[in-house]
Amino acid sequence: MIDVKAKISSFFIFNSSFGPREGEELQRILYFYPSQTSADTQKMQVGLCEAVIKFMSTFSPKPCEALRTQTKKYIFYQPEKGYWMVLVVRIPYTTKALSAIGESKGTDFVIPSVMFDLLKSSYKMFRMFRGLFKNFTVEEIYSVCDQFFTPYILSRNISNDVADVIQGINYLPLDKNAFFKVLCFIDLLEVNYPHFKCISFIYNEQLIWNGLDTDDMLTLYQYLVQSLLPKEVEKEIHGGAVAAAQRHGRFIHPPEGNQEEKLMKVYLKREEDSEAKQYYLVVYRTMSATICLTVDVHVEVQPEMLRSLDAFIGPQLSTIASTIGEQCTIHALQTAQLLSEHKFVYFNRLNLAFKTSPSVSKLHPSTAVKPEVLSIIADIHTDKKSLGNYGEIIIKTPDEYWITGKSSNDREFYVIIQEKNANLKEIADEVRRICETQMKGIFFYPM
Amino acid sequence: MARFRLKDSEEYYLALSEQPKRFDADSPVTNVFFDDSNGQVFTVRSGGVTGVTVTGMDKSNSTSFRMEDRGPIISIKFSPDLKILAIQRNQDNQNATVEFVNFKDLAPTNVEYSHTCKWKNAKILGFVWPKVNEITFITDHGIELLQVIPDKKQLKSLKNTSFSCAWFSWCSQSNIVLLAGNNGVLLQPFSLNNSTITKLQKLELEATRPVVERDVFTLRLCDATWCAIFRHAQSATVAAPGPTEVWLMPITGPSGFHYTHVLKTGLVGRFAVNVVDDLVVVHHQASQTSQVFDIMEQSRPEGGGVVHIPLVGATSLRPAAGGALYSDTWVVFQPHYIIDARLGCLWRVHLIPAGLAHSVPKDEISKIVAVLLRRTDGKDAIYRVLNQLVAEAGTYLVQLSDVFDEIHTVYRKWADLEMARNTAGPAPQPDGGAGRARVLISQGELCAHVLQQHSEAAWLVQVVTCYVASLARAGLVVQAAAAELAVRALVTRGPVAGLGAARQAGLGGLAPRKWLAAARAHAQAHGRPTAFTAVYHALLQRNERTRGSPHFLKGEQCDSYVEYYKQITAEPQ
Repeated sequence: MIDVKAKISSFFIFNSSFGPREGEELQRILYFYPSQTSADTQKMQVGLCEAVIKFMSTFSPKPCEALRTQTKKYIFYQPEKGYWMVLVVRIPYTTKALSAIGESKGTDFVIPSVMFDLLKSSYKMFRMFRGLFKNFTVEEIYSVCDQFFTPYILSRNISNDVADVIQGINYLPLDKNAFFKVLCFIDLLEVNYPHFKCISFIYNEQLIWNGLDTDDMLTLYQYLVQSLLPKEVEKEIHGGAVAAAQRHGRFIHPPEGNQEEKLMKVYLKREEDSEAKQYYLVVYRTMSATICLTVDVHVEVQPEMLRSLDAFIGPQLSTIASTIGEQCTIHALQTAQLLSEHKFVYFNRLNLAFKTSPSVSKLHPSTAVKPEVLSIIADIHTDKKSLGNYGEIIIKTPDEYWITGKSSNDREFYVIIQEKNANLKEIADEVRRICETQMKGIFFYPM
Repeated sequence: MARFRLKDSEEYYLALSEQPKRFDADSPVTNVFFDDSNGQVFTVRSGGVTGVTVTGMDKSNSTSFRMEDRGPIISIKFSPDLKILAIQRNQDNQNATVEFVNFKDLAPTNVEYSHTCKWKNAKILGFVWPKVNEITFITDHGIELLQVIPDKKQLKSLKNTSFSCAWFSWCSQSNIVLLAGNNGVLLQPFSLNNSTITKLQKLELEATRPVVERDVFTLRLCDATWCAIFRHAQSATVAAPGPTEVWLMPITGPSGFHYTHVLKTGLVGRFAVNVVDDLVVVHHQASQTSQVFDIMEQSRPEGGGVVHIPLVGATSLRPAAGGALYSDTWVVFQPHYIIDARLGCLWRVHLIPAGLAHSVPKDEISKIVAVLLRRTDGKDAIYRVLNQLVAEAGTYLVQLSDVFDEIHTVYRKWADLEMARNTAGPAPQPDGGAGRARVLISQGELCAHVLQQHSEAAWLVQVVTCYVASLARAGLVVQAAAAELAVRALVTRGPVAGLGAARQAGLGGLAPRKWLAAARAHAQAHGRPTAFTAVYHALLQRNERTRGSPHFLKGEQCDSYVEYYKQITAEPQ
């Protein structure tokens, strides 16, 4: 896990059109982290980026992506025209100092694609909860950015984990009856409360139903799994359990007993929407099941509406949650039997389904993959051309790792085998075997 | 509780036959007899001298003839083949004798003979014809089974059993006679099948609550024979007499019927009972209503009996041409006859299935559908109920799901039995006919008669989802017709999620053409080609998995979709 404060040198957002004249440079900086950086340093950093971007634009119509100096790496991201987000990370340059710290376990190294994803997801999170940059006036934008990005940056933990290299959604496989229970419950809810639309159903950290555009789903999923739910679980552990047991479930958003003004607004693209719209977000949770509902912002959400919803959802959701709980137990037992000695990662670009051999939970650091290996996987994953639509690649590291990447139908599958004295055929056979046992029903074939 | 009202349904669920069979009314010179075995009314004018008219439910068993008046008639009945007429007369101080007349083509021949029962001092309480050429005399000393040899004008005793009997009840459908002994405390059934008399398990009643003849009936219900007893509350022991119950005590039948069923009428007064389509109908004179009970409904046994309440609120019979309903002069016979001797009318009672759903509490809709599934003509009413539920699915989604479950439970049981019959595997234990359904609705029928009628319905996606969910709960494989609807519904609600859902629902067997058509329609309607490519890719994979090659077969008629795929995935040059 990287220490954000130690590794992230700075993070800033600028728009050159905000202060076009000389002397107005500070106005161009919408946000700068760390905030205690001196104004001169801020100006210099932003100025450098502006210059590089401008300079590079003469060579390529595509915007500049990164800049590397001896001590730092700059990642650029232009989410909206003229708005640039820049992440600056320190990179190791004195091997001596590092070896003095001891085993670094890769904390010295941040994979570029992970940094870029961090920028991108921070923007997407901003867009979901605040909207577009351009929709804010010059008066608002500085404080809006500050209020949003400071806590966001400080709360993000980036580990060198496959889950950060490949950002996906962990789906929960259910048997059809349990799945239909969920589906029919959602139908019933929407039929009885036509203003509400269920956009996601999550059990623990695993997604069961999604009613959003996949891109937005990833952002909402990350918000729930990385930010909202850990806090709620914490609350439940510390004393909330008794109160929760007395009732079926509770609203997380809006917080219990609060009025309309507390409703959270989000910009989302539901599956049937052609563009993002503003909705109220209602989150309800019982046992380990969490559902997210959206309501059109033009609908006046009355407290009695929520009370009635509570009475409707609570009992049904807790029944469903216990059914799913039983399934999970069975499923866990079955998976335990399939345990593979080798690590694998599965990713489906279409629905962002993500699966790894060990639990993706960050509670198990032992599952961490060596940074060199991770970096190779990240490279294969980022460079779509390396595998093509259908392909397979096997890479051997100088030490004893074999990394196999397969792709078919927008699905990717990676296997890491630690075996010094193996040959290519043995590795290929082993990968095929793992693919068959772990990925039943999902077939890879070269074309 | 909100009520479900089936559109265009009658408020009546029971009706008398449209045109009653007319016969000469009872009068000082005319006597009327009814034989429930053959369903015939005998009107005897002036002891038969001025004529006997036999009125059956159809012409083939109606006739008229004359005969001598040899004394007042107690009972008169044809043999089952209508070739012998047996007459019992009131002849005091004489031996217990029954007279016989041979008939040919429903006309009397002059061959007449008589037979006296074996107990010389016995009093004949009645006689029954268990079989062609077999007659049983029921006397106060016991019963005697005789073979009639019409050509020889003789009767030959086959079997007899002594039993001290005060009165009896006869069930012609099962050939079981129930004799009452020991002042109405002991009821002893005998089976008269197979040309012999078989003594069956006796029914013993509490000594303090003996039964009288008018409160006891022997019924055939759900392939079993029952003794039905009206149990009136005793005003002597209870301060405020409670309502009357009907007790159904099993006499014989398939395994599974060993409980006494208690039907709670909630009423007091005069009652009569019929059986219509395996429903027990209890007519109540004072309120002029009839209640229906279904002993096959799910009910937990308690205290040695299974308690039932009326399926729906008591309603009058549908008013019929001919006269007042629930008249004093009505006589009710098994299984479904009603006679008004004074008016000279014979009716049959029949069920109006849709009437059961006329007004039902919302949460009892599935119960009523379960009842309809066990009725001979229930199918049409079920379709009507379903169509209305689907059209109003916004209100009835939960109930719809329950109704689908009822239909699929029945289908599943049937499918299991078929499977067991067609394979040599162990036959599942038939549950004694309990819950045995008469209506079987297949997926194809349900799609054709219900789901496909609502292609524009507001909640079709939800309805189809709940239908497929119900199939899954019953462990039934989703067949082509239902799968097509399901895929369309699932693709509509989100192509990628829908595909996953379809896989989880086990909708594998559908023709790929149907998938692609649904996906293309959706992709074009929403401008999202990925919806199509996702489905397309999934199918290629399936082909590869099942056939070893990703290509579609010629017979699958997917060429136009392959073209469409190439078109939307073509790289810009």
